[in-house]
Amino acid sequence: MSKPRTWPAHVFLAAGALVMLAPFAWQLVVSLQTLPDSLRMPPKFTPSWQWSNFADVFRSVPLARQFLNTVVVTAAVTAGQLLLCSLAAFAFARLRFPGRGALFLLFLAVLMVPAELFLIPRYEIMQGLGWLNSLQALIAPGVFGAFGTFMLRQFFLSLPRELDEAASIDGANPLQIYWHILLPLVRPGLLALGMLTVMWSWSSLLWPLVVNTDPEMMTLSAGLASLRGQFLTNFPILFAGSVVASLPVIVLFVVMQRQLIAGIAFTGSKG
Amino acid sequence: MHSKREWAWGYLLIAPMALGLAVFYLWPIAQTLYLSMTESGVFGGYTWVGTANFADLFTDEEMYGALGNTLLYSVLVLAGVPLSIVVAALLNVPGLRGLSLYRTIYFLPVVTMPAAVGLTWRYLFNGDFGAINHILGTLGIDGPYWLGDPDFAIYAIAVVGIWSSIGYNAVLFLAGLQGIPRHYYEAAEIDGAGRLRQFFRITLPLLTPTTFFVVVITMINALQVFDLVYLMIDLKSPALEGSRTIVYLFFETGFVQNQRGLAAAIAVILLGLILVLTAIQFRLQKKWVHYE
Amino acid sequence: MRFRLPLACLASLTVMTAGCSSASQPEASGKATISYAIWDKNDQASAEKIIAAFQQTNPNVTVKLEITPWDQYWTKLQTAASGGAAPDVFWMNSLNVRMYAKGGIITPIEESKVQGLPPAVVDGYRYDGKLYGLPHNVSIPALWYDKKLFDAAGVAYPTADWTWDDVKAAAKKLTDPSKKQFGILAHMWDQGAFYPTMLQAGGHVLSQDGKKSGFDDPASIQGLEYWTGMIKDQVGPVAEVYTDTDPITLFQSGKYGMLYGGVWFAPTFWANPEVRERIDVAPLPKGPGKEAVILLGLANAVSAKSEHPKESAAFAEFVASEQAQRILSDSGGGALSLRDGTQEGWFKAFPSFHLKETYDASMPYGVPYPVSLNTAQWQDVQNKLLAEAWAGKRPVAEVAKEIATQMNEILAKE
Repeated sequence: MSKPRTWPAHVFLAAGALVMLAPFAWQLVVSLQTLPDSLRMPPKFTPSWQWSNFADVFRSVPLARQFLNTVVVTAAVTAGQLLLCSLAAFAFARLRFPGRGALFLLFLAVLMVPAELFLIPRYEIMQGLGWLNSLQALIAPGVFGAFGTFMLRQFFLSLPRELDEAASIDGANPLQIYWHILLPLVRPGLLALGMLTVMWSWSSLLWPLVVNTDPEMMTLSAGLASLRGQFLTNFPILFAGSVVASLPVIVLFVVMQRQLIAGIAFTGSKG
Repeated sequence: MHSKREWAWGYLLIAPMALGLAVFYLWPIAQTLYLSMTESGVFGGYTWVGTANFADLFTDEEMYGALGNTLLYSVLVLAGVPLSIVVAALLNVPGLRGLSLYRTIYFLPVVTMPAAVGLTWRYLFNGDFGAINHILGTLGIDGPYWLGDPDFAIYAIAVVGIWSSIGYNAVLFLAGLQGIPRHYYEAAEIDGAGRLRQFFRITLPLLTPTTFFVVVITMINALQVFDLVYLMIDLKSPALEGSRTIVYLFFETGFVQNQRGLAAAIAVILLGLILVLTAIQFRLQKKWVHYE
Repeated sequence: MRFRLPLACLASLTVMTAGCSSASQPEASGKATISYAIWDKNDQASAEKIIAAFQQTNPNVTVKLEITPWDQYWTKLQTAASGGAAPDVFWMNSLNVRMYAKGGIITPIEESKVQGLPPAVVDGYRYDGKLYGLPHNVSIPALWYDKKLFDAAGVAYPTADWTWDDVKAAAKKLTDPSKKQFGILAHMWDQGAFYPTMLQAGGHVLSQDGKKSGFDDPASIQGLEYWTGMIKDQVGPVAEVYTDTDPITLFQSGKYGMLYGGVWFAPTFWANPEVRERIDVAPLPKGPGKEAVILLGLANAVSAKSEHPKESAAFAEFVASEQAQRILSDSGGGALSLRDGTQEGWFKAFPSFHLKETYDASMPYGVPYPVSLNTAQWQDVQNKLLAEAWAGKRPVAEVAKEIATQMNEILAKE
């Protein structure tokens, strides 16, 4: 096969990359402008080094607290998903019990239902538990997921049966087989699911918005929405908040992108 | 292993997840179906009203508006899918350097929280001070008030929807492209087919399973769009009429006006819509999706 | 640990009311803890000081401050009230007070407690002949102007004697299309803009008995046309501008001569040193009919289900007292104290703004904000239809008549 030229591809990709990056760069610049500078026409494309925008954001919303909330919720949801999904996935892939097929179908059916359908009853459950405005209200529904179960099941299915059989003969019970033998082997699956869960959990807006109304208990996503309520169209301050809120996941992504992309590619191939 | 013991283990390991799904998924579905048949009082309590909520919604202008806006948004975002195929095909050019850098850049909008994305674009689309109208202005075009005008708002939001999903879809397409066996291209090369011809004759047809998947999830996600609209259009904006989506209406009804019963009915209609449109997609796939 | 908590609760789900939340602690005899809910973060500092002062004279009472942003405040309150768990004392506005009074959520307040407070604000909290809120601040609409633009155009600054005609003339001179500069911001805003002009033209929004709409009154229509005229004459930007950028933000860009705003914008403008220097404030200009300034004041309401009704009522009363009102003023936050004679501290926090003059000129003409039982419902109609007039799609008179028809239907059902 002849070696094709790659420069035409570079031209198009670079132009696209500019469109992808420009809004981020612009946001960063404006986050360091004064309000009147952000309202110039033609626009001022350089920062005016107004660092106080960041201080203003931290002063008017408990951003540090919201940051911590988001980290705690994301970590708990991700850990919970990984443990519970892998347990269920292991059972579905490896153990035989009556009703397994029907149960699995029920799990899959849940995947088809839009999240809005769960919202009001979940809200009332949280209200009944007295959990409105608490971190557990954000964590509890998040640790359960049909998608993760389905995804990890595929990974377990791809492992050879001989592994469990050998361990079983040695006297290991299913929990030991799961923990000691199979779980380490589905590590790529766990990492992929983990990254997907981190991304979803970090960004999620609708549920946190309705269930936690106290700024001290909000996540960053809902905090940004309420910042908008407070600062209207004061873009420099809104952008300072946005930068602080979205930077961590961007950094995490740059470090862990292989795993995340593997996870997404997986959803495409097995969907 | 004794089968009885294996049963017990199976149930035990599934129990936590099953219980959680029952409480946070299955029970809410049943409850929402029930609530959609009730009216909620100002300060709590539900009264059974049968199908009155649905009857109200079927004559409600806002509901039809939201339905129309949501479908228009979905069509627009679907129209952006080919862009992702192009990006994926370019990334798949053999011998391309900097693949992982490009992938990272195209993926940034995907990992940025929609709340932040919405705020950024709200500024870019600003009629007076936005960069987009400034660029249009240098080209001699007088740009509209994108987000203040009900006739333009949904298009502007759709642009953002496409922008923030190109990377995600391109990754899926890239995986699909890499799954196409090389020998097809080698055969075409021997037949003297050019690169463009190869793309239309081999790549696109063999990519259809991935395309089908992307189209289905893009549609399902588009039908549920909320975050972007919520951050870009205020509750009191006159442009809301032309940009209110079904989920926005659901949020407004259930959690601003506190009419939970009516909101539940909106959610049920959304479920119906998604099921019907997905079923149609699966029906149509026989006509255009090539499975090897 | 992550799972034990939720799982333990799942068991108790059947008894929904039980739950895992720890029940409120039994208190030692004579001690009471009451909750106080507000929505404005800008008032946090003053509220904390007021609470401290209250606790000093009432050592047995602890007041817990809860701040919920405006976007979530009412939803949260309504939910809490449904569960019988409304805060003991909470911020109320005249738009919502009737619904809460009718629903039995809040308890009536003795008339004697509002002595010395302006009736224009107090009257907004009456329902069925009883008083349901103890007002503690006042928002006065006013005319903000950009001195830099006035100087450049050689126009004299607005005074307390200004009329509509002065505004129109100045707006014309301040407008400069080549610089994308406008004389005035003509945003569609009820309290500080089109309600006052409807009244100033001699019209009304709502009849005295609250049963009929005033939108079809020719004078009211004249008041509305004051605004649409500014847009038509191109001395004010078109309607879409205000949805894209908030008028408060726009005004700070230095491209707009005048803004019908509120005295409570002072802290926002003051925060920016560059903006602070080039702007000032004057009372609302007079119309052809009568003088009218629509006043809104927030009140504290007391929950009907409070476990400590006496302490709660005492706290609400304290917030409106002279001592607390001075604390509020001196903190220089967003809110202007209501009790006459306590405002000095607040004026002094923004020395170059003519706030005292504006206050003195406005209060004598204060009128209550128009409300009925279902205010939100007819305001919704009003806003939707007026938007068409502001956008220039339909003539004001036609739209106003349609509002009146629909509004009368809503009012008839009350």
